[in-house]
Amino acid sequence: MRRIIDNDFITLIFRVVVGAIFIYASYYKIIEPAVFAKGIWFYHMVPGNLINLLAVFLPWIELVCGVALIIGWQYRGTVILVNLMMIMFMIALGSAVYRGISIDCGCFQAAQASDSSAMNSLLWDVGIITMSIQLCLSKSKKWMLDK
Amino acid sequence: MVGKQIFIILFISILLGSITNFVSPNKIPFIGEYRELSSGDGPVIPPSASEGDPPFIAIDVAEMEFSLKNTVFIDARDYEEFICATIPGSINIPFEYLPEENVAEFVDSSLSYMSKETPIIIFCSGEECDLSLHMARNMQDFGYTNLSIFFGGSREWENFELEMERGEGCVE
Repeated sequence: MRRIIDNDFITLIFRVVVGAIFIYASYYKIIEPAVFAKGIWFYHMVPGNLINLLAVFLPWIELVCGVALIIGWQYRGTVILVNLMMIMFMIALGSAVYRGISIDCGCFQAAQASDSSAMNSLLWDVGIITMSIQLCLSKSKKWMLDK
Repeated sequence: MVGKQIFIILFISILLGSITNFVSPNKIPFIGEYRELSSGDGPVIPPSASEGDPPFIAIDVAEMEFSLKNTVFIDARDYEEFICATIPGSINIPFEYLPEENVAEFVDSSLSYMSKETPIIIFCSGEECDLSLHMARNMQDFGYTNLSIFFGGSREWENFELEMERGEGCVE
């Protein structure tokens, strides 16, 4: 098991996949912060005066983490941040599912009232966090800027 | 070590986010002014609403959109009512006084020929007034694609003690 977790190729692939997802997810949010703020508002989980701060800074944290993950820079800190963000996203989505709020994810586009279930997005998040947990546990240091 | 790395990532992100939000044409206020409003059973929907109408929104959604300053509000009432009390920043397009010809052109010019995808919320005075619904249906026909109707209107807005704009020349 340890050998699989520490495998250089698996770690590289997961770094690139998770990093690319974070970069892609940040794109629309950076372009349209007002739409993303609206998406956060729909969850009714964040105090009103913090919504815009989150809408402005969170996409950049996603983008910088995505790039840092792929190139292997500030790696340990990045992996911890990625895992913390994934936990935060899953709590938000799980809460929406629990409260029966009809809302789409808002992961890659604006969250809004929607008939589609947040459950599908939650399942995707389980897949992503599985990869990011592997990155957290892996001791592989190959193909990284960090030595 | 890890703490320092997290600090570096967060510092760079916050720096880039701040710079971008200062220079971006789509910038938003750093501190939102959203209020917790409850509209009870959700948006007011008139009996005359039909399938295909733009979505009806409740007071909390209208106030959220207002706070984001990303949406155009259209007051469909007469000018005399509009000037006395309206949602701040609203554009008055009195539905009952639309010209009989070139209506689409009139509406487009009233909105300064803004993009047809611009988010727009249409309202009038309240539940007894269906000007907003008719205006929305017309604008749909003119190609506007991002319309919502706030059927609670200016009265519900005022009942929640939200800011109102009152012009000079109001005759009660």
